[in-house]
Amino acid sequence: MKTIIAAALGTTMSMTAAWAQADFPTGPVTIIVPYGTGGSTDTTARAIGIELEQIWGQPVVIQNQPGAGSMIGTTALTMADADGHTLLINTAAITTAPAIQAELQFDPIEDITPISLLITSPYVLVGGANVQSTDFSGFLEEAQTRMMFLGTAGPGSSSHFMSELVIRAANLPAEVVHFSGGGEAQTNMMGGHSDTYISTTASVMPYVNDGRVKALAVLAPERFALLPDIQSSGEAGIEGVDIEGWVALFGPGGMDPALADQINADFAQAMATASMQQMLVDNYAVAGDLTPAEFAAIYSRDLQTWDELADAIGLGN
Amino acid sequence: MELLGNLALGLNTALSPSNLLYCFLGVFLGTFVGVIPGIGPLAAISMLFPITFYLDPTAALIMLAGIYYGTTYGGSTASILLNIPGATSSAVTCLDGYPMAQQGRAGVALMMTTVASFAGGSFGIIILSLFSPIIAEYALSFGPADYFALMLLGLVAASTIANASPAKGLAMVVLGMLVASVGTDSQSGVARFTFGSMSLLDGFGISAMAMGLFGIGEILSSVGNARSTAIDKSSAKWRNMVPTRDDVRRSWMPGLRGSAIGSFFGALPGTGPSIAAFMAYAVEKRVSDTPERFGKGAIEGIVAPETANNAADQTAFIPTLTLGIPGSATMALMLGALMVHGIQPGPTLIVQQPALFWGLVMSFWIGNIILLVLNLPLIGLWVRMLLVPYQYLYPAILVFVCIGAYSVRANPADVLMVLGFGVLGYGLRIAGLPAAPLLLGFVLGPLIETQFRRSMVLAQGDFTTIMARPIAGTVLALTALLLVWSVVSAIRRRRRLAQAAQGGLGG
Repeated sequence: MKTIIAAALGTTMSMTAAWAQADFPTGPVTIIVPYGTGGSTDTTARAIGIELEQIWGQPVVIQNQPGAGSMIGTTALTMADADGHTLLINTAAITTAPAIQAELQFDPIEDITPISLLITSPYVLVGGANVQSTDFSGFLEEAQTRMMFLGTAGPGSSSHFMSELVIRAANLPAEVVHFSGGGEAQTNMMGGHSDTYISTTASVMPYVNDGRVKALAVLAPERFALLPDIQSSGEAGIEGVDIEGWVALFGPGGMDPALADQINADFAQAMATASMQQMLVDNYAVAGDLTPAEFAAIYSRDLQTWDELADAIGLGN
Repeated sequence: MELLGNLALGLNTALSPSNLLYCFLGVFLGTFVGVIPGIGPLAAISMLFPITFYLDPTAALIMLAGIYYGTTYGGSTASILLNIPGATSSAVTCLDGYPMAQQGRAGVALMMTTVASFAGGSFGIIILSLFSPIIAEYALSFGPADYFALMLLGLVAASTIANASPAKGLAMVVLGMLVASVGTDSQSGVARFTFGSMSLLDGFGISAMAMGLFGIGEILSSVGNARSTAIDKSSAKWRNMVPTRDDVRRSWMPGLRGSAIGSFFGALPGTGPSIAAFMAYAVEKRVSDTPERFGKGAIEGIVAPETANNAADQTAFIPTLTLGIPGSATMALMLGALMVHGIQPGPTLIVQQPALFWGLVMSFWIGNIILLVLNLPLIGLWVRMLLVPYQYLYPAILVFVCIGAYSVRANPADVLMVLGFGVLGYGLRIAGLPAAPLLLGFVLGPLIETQFRRSMVLAQGDFTTIMARPIAGTVLALTALLLVWSVVSAIRRRRRLAQAAQGGLGG
């Protein structure tokens, strides 16, 4: 139902906006992906790009500019013209990286225009071979009996910040241990060297379905509609963990709000296509349906949350 | 019997005309990319990745995999002929391959590396077909402490790979480890030696390092020099490409050991063909009765690393396909090709997509056979490449190195890094310092550091728990033994030499 509304809304809005900005796009649109080719953000962007070429009738170029925890590609975006022909698809890393990188060459609020929340899904806490409990309540008890090691994808990654958030919210006597990327964090958990890992549904559910790791909690106040069998952290009595993982679209700072609205609508139309909907189902994720202004509020809230957390735990430069 | 059925299914899939075509395309492109210094498998596969959206997943994976292992076949060509590694994993092949070429044995060296690549690849495929699930489970039992011990053993074993004085070799290993410390600290997230540059936050890339030190270093030092050895045209003749009986006799055991070492390191996530090649070379030099021949054109010195890197290429698919976890950036691309089509690699892949899994495995065989057939006649052509005057050849290589450096991350800073390492490589040559130990320290240093620090976090600072782990404890004990043995044998050799010198004076 949501989809139909989103699609209908998308079409109406793109028609209205087309009137306002009839001259977009006038040429090829470059979408910067601040990660390597073949990763989940890259494949998502490429799939959307294929749909957008149909909608826009213009070539969509995916440009991979990985490095510095997505900040190299993000910096490249801030240097482009805000005419909508250069866009960025990034994950929540765009809110975590500024919290730890002192040498950032742009202002995350001034130099970036949040346009659209494309995909959203909750963070899931999964336990590996050494964790006995099967849900979050059990895990909280188990964590009082022995030292737990929360594996992350690296210092400053969203898995790191979420782990710290859980440790603080639940007052766990646990430690984080950093690995080089999510893959290594997951193998170490499967091998029983570390205990848990936190990431979005798309990254962890395949291993949960394989029976290789256990989904302990959806980190949210309520259960997640697409994964009703997994306990939520809120249910287990842990409050203050209310942040979702996402993939979102950004433009350079100071973009015309009308243009941002139009691009938002065009992407909503692309996300509503059957192939994108299938991708969302496969990844236990939901398409976002926020206006640029609504998404900007979430963006700056998350920036601030991570910034405060980084200060509190003494992380970064 | 089930295995035979699976193999038949795989063969059936791999031999379908379109899959056969993609396999051929992949390995052909791979060989080509491998021969050209600078453009490695990561760059080539990244460029071709978008095609996978429009291909059947099996065909896409067959082609991308073909590029991957095809590169390792071609990689040794430039190492042998020009002293410039065509791919990072064939940097070690320079050590003995280039001296062979200077002795007019380029044809033999190319022939042997092609056969060695085929043998190593085949060994890796057998391991992959028979033991994938078991090995994947076993690899999971390797924790940070075990990796630390293993990499330390590797460092101790391989620190003497260069034919320089131990002091110079060791100094270069340490320099390599220091260079590798640039970048984000693995546990605290603090930027180390980056001087505010975002491009340095991820540290230096291994391919930038290898291409700069070996490739650009070689090119710079050749400027103004007349070609040191006239390449004998006749080495391209079939008669001069056939290895002698002595070559073949010497190659058997290094090939087997290389295959085993390569298969082991390939299957461990986080290590790979480059480390495998280094280790295989180091082991051969250690077990050889005549270690002094290494670095001067020993056939074992090219057979061991070339079997090892090809075996590692094949077994690298074990964690990728059976766990769904890529061990390297290139493997992450392979995984991406599957995910694009909604196929989730993991333990269930073999059961749910038998045609894909076994088709891919059988395509490896076919690809390796195509590579063998493709590469043998090409040897003559590659050797003739040396007849191209260096004033044309080297600028062309320089261009390819820069394109290769730029294309992976689209970051101009990467080109500057390659050139910087080139100047460093040139300086090392002038000072008579070996570059190979530097690369070794660079590859192993960060692994040793991060795995050690991780294991210390997990052990809560208690070093004895590392010793108590079965794998780590055993490997550390072996490392200590090796260290003692190296020192003792060095002292003995020195005594013997001194005695011989005295005897010589007396007589």
